[in-house]
Amino acid sequence: MIDRVFLMTDAEVANFIVHGYHLVQPDLPEGLNERIATRLDTLESNPGDAITETVPELWQVLEHPAIRGVLVSLLGEDYQVNAHRHWHCKPPGSGYMHWHQDSTNNRDIRINRFLGLYYPRDVTADMGPTIIVPGTQFRNAPTDRMATYTNIRGQIPLVVKGGTVAFTHYDLWHGTSANRSDVKRHMIKFLFSRTHENVAPTWYHTPEALDGAIDWNQHDRAQDVRNILTFGNPLRVSQSDHYKERSIRWQAWRYLMGEKATEAVESE
Amino acid sequence: MFSEILSLTLIEPVKGYRVELTAEEPQWSYRTVHDALTDGWQIVQFPHLQASFDDTDLDVIGYEFILQKMEVVYD
Repeated sequence: MIDRVFLMTDAEVANFIVHGYHLVQPDLPEGLNERIATRLDTLESNPGDAITETVPELWQVLEHPAIRGVLVSLLGEDYQVNAHRHWHCKPPGSGYMHWHQDSTNNRDIRINRFLGLYYPRDVTADMGPTIIVPGTQFRNAPTDRMATYTNIRGQIPLVVKGGTVAFTHYDLWHGTSANRSDVKRHMIKFLFSRTHENVAPTWYHTPEALDGAIDWNQHDRAQDVRNILTFGNPLRVSQSDHYKERSIRWQAWRYLMGEKATEAVESE
Repeated sequence: MFSEILSLTLIEPVKGYRVELTAEEPQWSYRTVHDALTDGWQIVQFPHLQASFDDTDLDVIGYEFILQKMEVVYD
């Protein structure tokens, strides 16, 4: 069992559903991030899924309780570290990467898989950070249809400290900017999966989490589940899209709470 | 037309011109499409308002206007 101090709270889970990402900076052993970054600097070819064999210290990151806490919270105790993982290196002078969703575009209320992006080295704005668009994870968007978008209001560059792990919803829109620095930007992408559907919350859930009333003054700033799921609007879309988002979020919440996916949808 | 712009791509018809995602906060000259119209831009394509519609699902960010502005440039 993992110490509950490392588990996500109700508000953090609700925020993940709404915004599609959650950042963690685990207290890793001194020098570990630097050793991993230095090792990656020297790689001459990309080992693909074998990156964890080439750089076995990466397992220390995955096994840190702060990382396990998020995985248990969103996927259950028996989560799976998928065999697919990838080292994304943006060397100096590399260009930007346009908006895309990974895989095909199939919107799903189930949170059964998501990504963990580990950055062993500080990422500054000129190093080609990953850029995400919070709130886009429920939008089916073929890459070609996004070709005319460039910068989007509310986009967030993951300018982070070395050692940060960004957990991102699998369908979150993302890209990168160009690397105009003289430093390699490293990111290791991990994929995590659920092996069993929840029958109960697996995060640090308090039953009264849903007792909060709708707060028409604070809206999602009230930071309780009901108001986060109801009012959160990171893209600042207008009414009809916002209502659809709200409906999908509650379905996702109920699914994580232990309802079967079909029931979570039908009870809407 | 009067809604706040969610995304804006400026394309200059100049050889070698590129657009790209940036880590810096985008600074746009206009808050709405209408703001751009008052600055000399003309609409060359309206969004496809009669496009297929789904009442429960979400997809791309729609309501995309294409504007054009002609200017004389002296090199």
